[in-house]
Amino acid sequence: MNIPHDISQYNHHFRDYTELRVQENRVTRISLTNGDVTGNVSSAQSGVSARVFKDGNWGFSSAPEFNDDSVGRVVKSSTENVQFMNLKNTSRCGLILPDTLGEYEMDFATKKPRENQKYWVDFAREVDGYLEKKFPELLSRNVMVAGTDMEKSLSTSDGSKSYSMTPRSFLVVTVAIEKDGNPVNLYEFFGGLGQMEDNLLSPSDFLPKLDDLVSRLKQKADGVFPTAGLQNVIMDADLAGILAHEAIGHTTEADLVLGGSVAGDLMGQEVVSPLITLVDYANTFDDKTCPVPVYVDDEGTPSKDTVIIKDGVLKNFMHNKESAQHFETQPDGNARAYAFSDEPLIRMRNTAFVPGTNSLEDMISSIDDGYYLTKSSNGQADSTSEFMFGIAMGYEIKNGKIGRAIKETTISGIAFDVLKTVDMISEEMSWSAGGMCGKKQWIPVGMGGPAIKCKVNIGGR
Amino acid sequence: MNQSDIANYCIEQLKEAGAHKSQCAVTFSEKKELNVETGEMSLFRTTFDTNVGMSVIVDQKSGSVAINKTDKDSINEAVRKVMDMAQSSQPDDANDISPSQPKQSFSKGDEKPDMEKMYLRLDEFMGYVKKTHPTINMEAAIVDFSHSTSVFQNSNGVEFTTKEGMYGFSNMFTAKEGKDTSSFNGMGISALNLNTPFIESGSAKRLLKQSTEQVRTKPVSEKFTGEIVVTPDCLSDFLGFITGDISDGKIISKTSIYKEKLNKQITDSRFTLHARPVSDEITDGYFITDDGYVAENNTIIDNGVLKTHLLSLYGANKTGGKRAVNGGGAFVVDAGEKPKDEIIRNIKKGILLERFSGGRPSADGEFSGVAKNSYYIENGELKYPISETMISGNIQEMFSNIGEISSDRIDFGYCIFPWISFKGVTVS
Repeated sequence: MNIPHDISQYNHHFRDYTELRVQENRVTRISLTNGDVTGNVSSAQSGVSARVFKDGNWGFSSAPEFNDDSVGRVVKSSTENVQFMNLKNTSRCGLILPDTLGEYEMDFATKKPRENQKYWVDFAREVDGYLEKKFPELLSRNVMVAGTDMEKSLSTSDGSKSYSMTPRSFLVVTVAIEKDGNPVNLYEFFGGLGQMEDNLLSPSDFLPKLDDLVSRLKQKADGVFPTAGLQNVIMDADLAGILAHEAIGHTTEADLVLGGSVAGDLMGQEVVSPLITLVDYANTFDDKTCPVPVYVDDEGTPSKDTVIIKDGVLKNFMHNKESAQHFETQPDGNARAYAFSDEPLIRMRNTAFVPGTNSLEDMISSIDDGYYLTKSSNGQADSTSEFMFGIAMGYEIKNGKIGRAIKETTISGIAFDVLKTVDMISEEMSWSAGGMCGKKQWIPVGMGGPAIKCKVNIGGR
Repeated sequence: MNQSDIANYCIEQLKEAGAHKSQCAVTFSEKKELNVETGEMSLFRTTFDTNVGMSVIVDQKSGSVAINKTDKDSINEAVRKVMDMAQSSQPDDANDISPSQPKQSFSKGDEKPDMEKMYLRLDEFMGYVKKTHPTINMEAAIVDFSHSTSVFQNSNGVEFTTKEGMYGFSNMFTAKEGKDTSSFNGMGISALNLNTPFIESGSAKRLLKQSTEQVRTKPVSEKFTGEIVVTPDCLSDFLGFITGDISDGKIISKTSIYKEKLNKQITDSRFTLHARPVSDEITDGYFITDDGYVAENNTIIDNGVLKTHLLSLYGANKTGGKRAVNGGGAFVVDAGEKPKDEIIRNIKKGILLERFSGGRPSADGEFSGVAKNSYYIENGELKYPISETMISGNIQEMFSNIGEISSDRIDFGYCIFPWISFKGVTVS
């Protein structure tokens, strides 16, 4: 579907506060399992939605067609929905949303000619062929090439207008080996913001990384159980980013604060080590574009960075217009929707600890007995900031040196407590661009950070 | 064009473009949804959508495309695209579509939602929570009604028509007293009607009460190996490893620990697992499989013996195995003999595991994770709600070390599970 860069011509349908959005999400995925094409799929889901606010209540409607008639219908349906709510519930009457005005266009589509499907099938086969030939000992190989484009245009009754085309694309490789009759596997993501033509230039670019992946898999297969309990660890950027997002970030989303999260009582207090500064970046860090750049959110609010924790002190929550009104502040552009048929929710964008001043080498050498955790498998957190992350790859640290690899395990703790134990932060920033966050809707998020040294509970036998 | 005409048009266009085999599903759907956000009912959503999915096989090469438009230009473009995708792929003899079957229609549920009742049931639920559990913060509660009509056709002459209307209810909440906060909790159910108040559905009443008790928690005092009682709300976290491991991906890639276990004992002999997508027992099942067969009920694990892998047509062709008669889900675990309270009363030292925040189990079934919204059990009594407590073990071993299976079960509409106690789990 053609997404116009300006849809304000349809504003004549508006009668009340209204957000109108036209959006298309396009997905392409090619999967190979042991050389066979087991997935070769493409989808495009597009349409128009309207959200209307009146007398404290919201109405929302969406439809897959986009033309003047369908815009009129979704605005009318949203208005009828808000009228239904207003007949039932008058307690919220008088609620006034803050005005915001944003106007921005950003297009991250490739400027190169688009390659056809055969090119990408052949790309995946070349990657797989390399693994098959060089590592015949592998039990299985999964190679996936995938791309997602999110293209949307917004117009609001406040006068905001925006257009964005935000693609992500990846090569994902999972390899498995047999050890003592049981499978052991490891995966790696390559890619991020941009279409496949910009992120996946040539299979040969990835071959050294595949060698490294298989090398780490073999280390893991020979890995040892970590010692369970409270341990000194270094969480590499991949883990630190998840900690920033899952364990702290979610507790500071204003809707979850109103839902009872532990951070609600901590505003203005020193909640973690003073070495820690945590920011939800809107679109840019250190003059470089973040993995999930947002310039105007789906309520029409211009996006700016939200400093959540500054030098250990809790400074801000993340808001949409309604929660900003509740907390008597201004929103920073965190209201985002995944699909045309989704309403905007308070979401993180690019959440990361700010780098420190230590080198990773110094951090490792400062630990006599502990672990260096480099890769996560998944992560979950809670209103209490208690978190759990799966550890897909990690190593022992013995006498200041990296030791044996460890078997898969989990780490857990209360994030605000764990982050009080941070005493070293590395100087490098590394972004993870493959994240999807689930909260009624799934949505792409960026996570990142430096490596951090702290004490955390590690699982094991 | 109606849905049948659209599906027929797609099949014809694909054939004309050179497809040797093809299938198409055309679905129209409408959803009405009332939302409570941070304790207040404030959002009413209506969404309409369309889905046209086409899969094609050319020279044993396959491709699939999905769009949400039904005009001829969009369909013709999708046909061109999926043909290009298939022709770009690699031949695989395992690619196929379902054979000719009698034309059939299926229907379930209401055509239209009872909006007044949706509002009243949600309002009633919120009223109960505010009155009975004033410390509960309802972060979100959603009641929805989804209605869809779908036509599935393939080039072997298969045509199935499905109509379905289904209500759903879900919630997420915490309890808060002063500065003390419980963990998140929540549940979801599916229902054909709104005859039952939401508070009486699934595990709603039990979880709300428990959350109010869980604002103050403590870790277990020592590491021990004991018995954990897994509730129906979190059984799928563990069962999902087994059902995932016997499905296409793991069996085809040969990384399943159950690949050579058909007709062998894989769990305790008292454990029986069914998939019942078309039984009256399961409200929210399904009538046809993704690969174009009429779904049937089956028993996956019968008294501990693995009776079938959950292979699709492709998976079966690829591995030489037998196609499962359904696509999994709609799981029912047979009840045991003792009430759950009696099972707990007989445990000397263990955990009542209400929710599990766990890492993805490793390929051999090793797992560890945090016990959430859970209780420490000592001498048959729930002593206190716990936090910062980790459990670990091996799922394969766990299901071979079942203590008891409860006689009482929870019906969530999409699955029916009992409480199960497992011995020999490490708690730390």
